[in-house]
Amino acid sequence: MTRLLKTVLLATTVAAGLAAPAFAQDSVLLPNLSYRTGPFAVTGIPLMNGQADYMAMINERDGGANGVKLNYQECETGYNTEKGVECYEKTKAEGAIVTQPWSTGITLQVLPKSNVDKMPVLAPGYGFSAMQDGKVFQWAFNPPASYWDGASMILQNIAGGNLDSLKGKKIALLHLDHPYGKEPIPLLESYAAKYGFTLLPIPVGLKEMQNQSAQWLQIRREKPDFVVMWGWGAMNAGAVTEAVKTNYPMNQFVGIWWSGLDGDLKLVGEKGKGYRTLSWSMTNPDAPVMKDIKKLVVDTGKSQINKEAGEYDWVFYQRGVLISAFLAEAVKGAQANFKTKVVDKEQLRWGLENLKFDDAKIKELGLDGMIAPFSTNCANHTGHSGAWMLEWNGTKFVKASDLLQADRAAIDPLVAEKAKEYADANQPWPINEECKM
Amino acid sequence: MLYRTAGQFKTSYAADHALFPVRQDAWLLGFILLVAYVLFPLTASEFTLNALLVPVLIYALAALGLNILTGYAGQLSLGTGAFMGVGAYACFKLMTIFPGMNIAVAIALSGFFSAAVGVAFGLPSLRIKGFYLAIATLAAQFFLVWLFEKWAWLYNYNSSGAIQVPNVSMFGLTVAGPGAAPVVKYYFVLLTVTLVTWFAINITRGRIGRTWKAVRDMDIAAELVGINPMKAKLSAFAVSSYIVGISGALFVFLWRGAAEPNLFDIPLSFRVLFIAIIGGLGSILGNYLGAILIVALPVIIGSLPAALGLPLQSATIEHLNVMIVGATIILFLIVEPHGLARFWAIIREKLIMWPFPH
Repeated sequence: MTRLLKTVLLATTVAAGLAAPAFAQDSVLLPNLSYRTGPFAVTGIPLMNGQADYMAMINERDGGANGVKLNYQECETGYNTEKGVECYEKTKAEGAIVTQPWSTGITLQVLPKSNVDKMPVLAPGYGFSAMQDGKVFQWAFNPPASYWDGASMILQNIAGGNLDSLKGKKIALLHLDHPYGKEPIPLLESYAAKYGFTLLPIPVGLKEMQNQSAQWLQIRREKPDFVVMWGWGAMNAGAVTEAVKTNYPMNQFVGIWWSGLDGDLKLVGEKGKGYRTLSWSMTNPDAPVMKDIKKLVVDTGKSQINKEAGEYDWVFYQRGVLISAFLAEAVKGAQANFKTKVVDKEQLRWGLENLKFDDAKIKELGLDGMIAPFSTNCANHTGHSGAWMLEWNGTKFVKASDLLQADRAAIDPLVAEKAKEYADANQPWPINEECKM
Repeated sequence: MLYRTAGQFKTSYAADHALFPVRQDAWLLGFILLVAYVLFPLTASEFTLNALLVPVLIYALAALGLNILTGYAGQLSLGTGAFMGVGAYACFKLMTIFPGMNIAVAIALSGFFSAAVGVAFGLPSLRIKGFYLAIATLAAQFFLVWLFEKWAWLYNYNSSGAIQVPNVSMFGLTVAGPGAAPVVKYYFVLLTVTLVTWFAINITRGRIGRTWKAVRDMDIAAELVGINPMKAKLSAFAVSSYIVGISGALFVFLWRGAAEPNLFDIPLSFRVLFIAIIGGLGSILGNYLGAILIVALPVIIGSLPAALGLPLQSATIEHLNVMIVGATIILFLIVEPHGLARFWAIIREKLIMWPFPH
């Protein structure tokens, strides 16, 4: 009996000893449903690294957000929706105050639950475009730009600012045959009807991502004036190499912001010159925040980035940094507003709903030149920062346009319509009536 | 000792043919049911319910459906995922066309759609066998997933091409959709699975089940003793696809909440086939054991390092997980090629003899 007692006592002390450091500092759990494995890992890894490194830098430099450690944790999904549910449940049970679902498929599963679980969903630059409507999607946020914003900006840019010039032209939409790739279709269809161009959606199945010869054969036959790409993961590299192989003019080939991975274009190098990608983020290795990350995280070996490949300068890596900056700012905003240190889910929701990235804030955070100003409010969960067109110059992406802005008049009615459709299909769906904006 | 059968005398044919000729089996089952119906709902966390128990039950049900076809009737099928999809889409359409429909009725009806599709794709089984039939069912797999993608009516012309589960209530209680409590979903799934299992046990023991087994073991001999192979094979396809269809409807409505077409692609078929094979072909119990190994084990391994306080990267855990689960599968198949159910049967036999082996 005494021996048993001793064992129990010993076990408790050991357990307490192990658990003690965790309580030494206040922390908030900010998980990320990452995918460093699977067919989309190439695009996932630099983004996840950027996210992790920004959080690590803030914890290192400032000791967290006002002394509260930002406990960034990854739960690996491999872009698999089944793992996504598992990770969502797991992180929720561990006390997460936000979920970052990453895949549109996982977002679809998590979105309806967000109301019930009161869990903020942060999907920067992805997810449903209709999530912009903050009154309907109270818990979901997709700053700083939605896919429909992106589609509108791409069209404006390729039309040279005058959409009427697209009349009679043919635009192919090379897209992943997945909820993500289908996102821009409703908006592009309405544009096609309005401005008289032909939209040719060309789906790429998940199984054909690496071998798109059939799709590019179709492109060669149809000779579209532009190919707009909504690609992800292994699909981007496949498309770029096929375009080079079929000699499709690169200056007529434009991708959304997830189709601008440096590594994919490095595969073709000089031959990819002229390929453009829309991006709401811009690289700036001289920004104070990047220097701090380099000094405190990368140079001390705490980062997982691939230094040989120059990942530090990649668009995606620095975009990951921005995504974490949104989240960290939301935490700080909630702390200030509720005069508390450890924020909970509802307080973080307020923080995300009141993000204010104006010029002064961007300067203060040291994100100079990396993002355009935007702010969210209770009716607008996207913020609409606008985006730049980046062009591949053979070795890296360079800015190729001024800041573009989406055509709100065309998008907002569609957002309202789709948001209502979603709410109606998911009755009872709570609408934020308090929001008067 | 525990499994002593001495003193359990059978005095009638009915007693001899009872479901549990050995009393301890009935006690064991009673205990498992008690745990499943009382203990788990009382103690399990939301994570355990949503990520462990419900998926294990649903996968076990799908494997049970496949096992009837492959294990009992000997017809190899690689189209399980697609048949699950038929059940899911049928249930979705039923629920959206008739919004007031009771979800239990909708799920029961959706099984008939997949049964019909299953019979249609089972027709080649009358002429071809083995691997050739597997290829024919593979065609069903590719065709149906393609259909789920291209036939926009199936997903109500949703722009993202996915189906989403609305809040569904039954007798005033929300049973499906985001608003449903995990315990309610669990009970719904558990009840369905219990009912179907009871049905499956009885059908496989009875006349129909015996005709399936006869056809499986030697179809020419079966035909000679007067069994109609067409009837036997097609009824196996129908019953199997019905169960698979129900499991597909549960899969989306009671667990995932949303589904896109590629969810029902070939990896899902293989997963269910693995569960059936590792669990044991031609057994009911095996499906549950297989589902625990294939579905629950990775989840448990995945949460171990965090529970033990090991500072491992999430991606590393995932790689380790794949390796461990893969190794376990190979190990089990080497140790007992007839599956986990056979493994249990051996243990049980030894227990009955113990402590005096031959």
